[in-house]
Parts: sequence; structure tokens; C-alpha cells
Amino acid sequence: MEALATVATLLAVGVLAIVVISVSLRGAGALSWDFFTQPQALFGQPGGGIANALIGTALLVLLATAMALPVGVLTAVYLTEFAPKRIRVPIQVVLDVLAGLPTIVIGIFVYALLVIGHTQSGYAVAFALAVIMLPLIARATQEVLLLVPSTLREASLALGVRRWRIVLGVILPSTVGGILTGTVLAIARAAGDTAPLLFTSSIFANSVQTDVTKALPNIPVLIFTYSEQPDPALHEQAWAAALVLMAFVLIASLAAKGLLAQSRRRLGR
Amino acid sequence: MRTSFQEELDVLESTLQEEGALVLRALRGALNALEQRDHELADEVIAFDDDVDRRYLEIEDRIPSLLARQTPVATDLRLVLAILHVNLHLERMADYCVTIAKLSKLVPEIDPPVRLIEGFEEMGSRCEEMIRVALDSFRDRNLDGAESLVDLDELVDRANRRAVQHVLELGADPDMREYGLRMVVISRALERIGDHAVDIGEQTAYLLTAEFREFTDASHPTPREA
Amino acid sequence: MTAVFTMAPVIDVAQARRGAGPVQREAVFDIQGLTVSYGRLTAVSDVGLEIYRNLITAVIGPSGCGKSTFIRCLNRMNDLVPGARVEGQILYHGGDLYASGIDPVEVRRRIGMVFQKANPFPKSIYDNVAWGPRVLGMKKDLDERVERALRDAALWEEVKDRLKKNALSLSGGQQQRLCIARAIAVEPEVLLLDEPASALDPIATSAIEELMHELKRDYTLVIVTHNMQQAARVADLTAFFSLEVDGARRSGVLVEYDATEKIFTNPTDKRTEDYVTGRFG
Repeated sequence: MEALATVATLLAVGVLAIVVISVSLRGAGALSWDFFTQPQALFGQPGGGIANALIGTALLVLLATAMALPVGVLTAVYLTEFAPKRIRVPIQVVLDVLAGLPTIVIGIFVYALLVIGHTQSGYAVAFALAVIMLPLIARATQEVLLLVPSTLREASLALGVRRWRIVLGVILPSTVGGILTGTVLAIARAAGDTAPLLFTSSIFANSVQTDVTKALPNIPVLIFTYSEQPDPALHEQAWAAALVLMAFVLIASLAAKGLLAQSRRRLGR
Repeated sequence: MRTSFQEELDVLESTLQEEGALVLRALRGALNALEQRDHELADEVIAFDDDVDRRYLEIEDRIPSLLARQTPVATDLRLVLAILHVNLHLERMADYCVTIAKLSKLVPEIDPPVRLIEGFEEMGSRCEEMIRVALDSFRDRNLDGAESLVDLDELVDRANRRAVQHVLELGADPDMREYGLRMVVISRALERIGDHAVDIGEQTAYLLTAEFREFTDASHPTPREA
Repeated sequence: MTAVFTMAPVIDVAQARRGAGPVQREAVFDIQGLTVSYGRLTAVSDVGLEIYRNLITAVIGPSGCGKSTFIRCLNRMNDLVPGARVEGQILYHGGDLYASGIDPVEVRRRIGMVFQKANPFPKSIYDNVAWGPRVLGMKKDLDERVERALRDAALWEEVKDRLKKNALSLSGGQQQRLCIARAIAVEPEVLLLDEPASALDPIATSAIEELMHELKRDYTLVIVTHNMQQAARVADLTAFFSLEVDGARRSGVLVEYDATEKIFTNPTDKRTEDYVTGRFG
């Protein structure tokens, strides 16, 4: 039994290792200072980097987080603190479905809603990404809210303090770590999600763009576009961009774990 | 529940009853020694007091331990306190029996006046009866029995006063005077034994009613609240 | 037979302890016909008694007899239990605690509660005590308020140099005293304590009991305890609850309520006698 379990684990770890190693090998060559600071080169021109795509991705993710975080946290608060059972269960199901929805479907939906008749824009992207992030943040927040012992709620209620004050002053502060964790993981997921971006922000630009009302260059689209080009230098850049994304996910996951551990310590567990 | 605690209480009570039975034997022995002028019997009675003391000390030792370990409350507490008090009264009674036995050896060799001896017989019997009633009432938790001790004691008190009267009539002969003195002390001892029996009755009443009151008090002729 | 309780011994005992003159002691709570059920289960049935000011009243009884349910009616914590139904009347200073216009949140500010397991907030010691007053609008002289509460809870000397440290770094007994400080910081009139020392070691328990003697000067205390000796040591009045089985229905009832001395030296009801002597099966 133990041997079987060990082999399975090695398999899983091995797969990740293969992905990491192959991406690193293929993309490491293109990494350079210029890579990170130069915008995409014009077609046919050598050099260039992913600076504008990086900035674009950052802006889009920031916007998406600004939309998803409050809604996600408040939804989770409602579900754990205020919702009666018969409302809570259906909403939970909805959130689960949303979490499992293929991102391309979300992309098409947002496309139909916000892009047709208008133009592609950063807002459209942010909205699509927010929809993807929402259930992740809500679920993570819910989990930490449930971790808060009911004795804390009882104690603050017995003081004669209003419910919302209790949520704000006692419960949420203890969950900040968990919420951050969930948010970081959601960001990691959203930053790399290609499908919605293809519909809402599929441009290719040579300079840094920051106008959020228009489409912004971003990494997933860059990877997708470069991979379809004949130039092997661009392929290498695509691999490097993928490496960057991967590194980001890795760092984000580790940060999330650290945050959760810290928040657990503060709660005294 | 609390079977070991209940067993401890039972052992305490049965030891007390044993002690009471020993006191009865001591009293009978002392009275016989007095009446028959049997010095050997008197010595036996005096030595016998050790048996009573042993039971007395056993109970004295067990009670603090029980109180500390089992923290009895309500009826249990009253029972333990009552046993404590009854234990003291029994020990005092036994001491008076020894007094009677010692005095019976010191009494001069004269023919005792019949009426005096008969008086002591009566007092002695009454005391024996009182001790029996007291112990039985305690064992059976019988309030009426306990309260009846007051009337019995009244008889003993009267007999005591009669005995003193008889002694005063003995005359001025030095031997008679010494004899009379000893007899007064013996009479007093018997009267005190009766009083202690009444005290045991009061403990029974306390156990049953949770109220301690003296059945009679020397300074107040009618019963009052303690 | 529900409450076996007469006025005279209660007031006599109260007066004797207080050494006061012929002043009638005020009843803070007047409870009549209290019946609490959760769904089809009746937790307590037809309970009636009075709670007197500046006294410690203990509620004892075997498990499941409704002691905690009863005490939680006094600050309307039972409202938070879904399906809880409260019938009967609880008068607090003459006013119906469950009247339709009464705000349960305000009730809980005036009638505080300390729980079995110490539950300080994961904040600093200072913030634990200060948070309540702060959010309830008692912002003036917060530092003094915190110090006073900690002194009254016999904790000040031990924590005055580390007020900013996390409350969870305190020992169990200290945490419980912190919870008491937290409760009294909002200036309640009544303190309800639901088995406050059951999770503590004997020394910490003793500290809490000492504290209760001090607290009753300023507050009215009601304590639920499964430790009879604690009730005997601490309480002025003791209420004994027991389970009544009526066919398939079981509910908690008040069997006897009297001066603690009486309950432990000469109780009136045999059920009480059986319970306090430990003969209860």
C-alpha cells in the first residue's frame, strides 16, 4: 500500500517537474533584462520583450481583483453569518457551478455582453476575470469564516454588540490571512487565463498601454500569438513568458501558504 | 451511589453501637462490683475501659478523615456530627463507670443500709434502660424514643435526691461519714450517666430535625430552643 | 411540585450576610412559568423564581436538566438558537424582557455573560477589553475604563506591563478573568456565568471564586455550576434543577430554591437531598 501511494505521489510530482523543466529549458534563453523592460518588437524586428504585456496583465488583474474581492468577501460573509439554511444551500451550489464553468464560456458571455457593439476593453477583461475569481475568493473566505470558533461570536454577542459590528470588528480581522490566501490564489489563476482574454483583449501592441477603456496587451495573448508565428526567436520568447507566468503561480502559491500559516497562528490554533 | 462512603458511615455507626454495648457492660459490672463488694470485678471493669477507649479513638480518628475526603452534606453531615457527639457522651459514661468501680473498692467494710443499696439498684437499672433506649433510638432514628429519655432521666434525678437524703441520715460515725461521701459521688456519677443518655437523645433529635435543642436545661426548667 | 421557596429565609439570609438593616432586597429578575422548548423537546418547564440584587445565585443540577437553557433566557441568548420557543414571563426590574419592543442587543449589554471555555478575541489584551466599550460608544477615558475593568477582574497587576500582547498568550485562568474584565467593561448590571471555572485547575478556580465574592458588591451574579461544592462555597442562594420524566417526555424543573446553607444542611425536598448527598443515581 505504502509503495503504491509513494509511486502515485512521485508520478504527480514528476508531471509538475516535467512541465517546469521543459518550460524552463525552452524559455530560459530568452530571459534578459531587456526581456522584462522592453515592449513587444514590431513584426520582423529582433529583440523586444514583454514589458507592455506584463504591465497590461498587472493592470487587468488589479482591476479584476478590485471587482471580485469585495463582492466575494461580502458574499461569503452573507452566507456564513446571515443566510438562513434554505437560502445558503442554493447559493452555495451556484458558486460551485460558477467555479467550474469553463473560462471560454465566460469569455464568450462577456464578449457578447460587453464587447459586441462596443470595443474590446480592459473593463471587459476585468469583468470576465472577476467572474472567474469570485467563487474562488468566496469559497476561501467562507472556509476561514467557518474556522472562526462560534465561541467568539457568542462572546461578542453577549456583550451587546450589533451583528455587523461583530463581523467587522472580530470575525473579519481574524480571517484576513485566509482571505488574502484565497485572493492570491485567485489572482494566480486569473493572471494566466487565456480564453476570456482572447475574446476581450486580443490585441498586440508595441508599446506600453495603460488605457483601461481599451484593450490591453497581456501575457496569455502574447504567448498565444507568438506561438503561431514562424520566428523561432518569438517561440523562445513565448516559452519565456510562460516561464514567467509559472514562476508567478509558484511564488503566489507559496505566499498564500505562508499567509495562511500566519493567520492560523494569530487565531491561536 | 457513593457505596464506599455509605459503607464508611455504616462502619462508623456500628462501631458506635459496639461502644454503647461495652458501656452497658461496664455499667452492669460496676454496679455488681459495688453491690457485691467484689474488688476483682471492679478491677476488671477498670481494665475494661481500655476497650471503650479504643472504639472512642477509632471514631475520633475516622471522622476528620471522612469529613475531609467525602465532604458530607445535609443528612450525612448531621449524622457524622451526631456520631461525633454521641461518641463523646459514651466515653464520658464509661469514665463514670470506672469512677463507680474505683469507689466501690475504697468503700469501708461496713454493712450498707438496705435502702441505699436498693436505691442504687434502681438508679442503675434506670440508667441501663436509658442507655439502651438512647442507643436504640439513635439506631432506629426514633424521635419519640429519644424524647422519652427526658422522663426517664427525671426518675433518675429523683432517685439521686433520695440517695443524698439517705446518706444524710447515716449518722456521724467516721466510717459512716466516709461511706456516705463515697456514696454521694457514686450517686452523682449515676445521675451524670443519665444526663449523658439524654444528650444522646438530643443528638438523635438533631439528626432527624436538623435543629439542635436541649430537652431540658439546668438553668431553665422548661425546654427551649438552643 | 415546582418551586419550594419562601420569602422569609431568603431575605433573612440576605440581610444577615449584608449586615444591613430592615431593607427589603430588590428582585432584579422575577421569573414566572418559564418554559423553553427546542422543536418538540422541552428543556425547562414552568420555572418560577426571583433573582436578588448583589447576591450570588447558583443553579445546580444534573446534566440535561436545563440549567444553561435557563440562564440563557436571562440575556436572551436563546434567541439565537433556531427553533427555540420561550413561554412564560421574565420580568427584569418589572419590565417584560421579551416584550415586543425590547431590543435583545440592548438586553445583552445590561446582562453580560461569561462562558465555560474562556473565549478572548484574537486581539491584544487591551483591545479585548476596550473593543466593546469602543463600539458601543463609550469612548471617553478608555484607558481608565480598561484599567478599572482589569482591576475589578483581579488581572491588572499581572498584565499591566503587557497590555499590547495577544490575549491568547495568557494562561487559561487569566484568559477567563480577561473575559470577565471584558464583560464588565461595558458596565452591565448582571453577570451570568455558565460554568466559568469548569475548564480551570483548582488554583485558577479558587481565584475565580474569590473574584466572584468581590464582584457581587457591584453586580448581581447568577452562576451555573455542576460542581456542588463550588455552589456551596460561593453562592448565597441556590436553585436546584432536576429532570422530570413524564412518560416519554423529559423536561427540567426547578425543585428547590433557598438559602445555600439550607440546601446543604437540611433541604426540604428529597430529590434535593439525594442530589447534594450524591445518592442521585
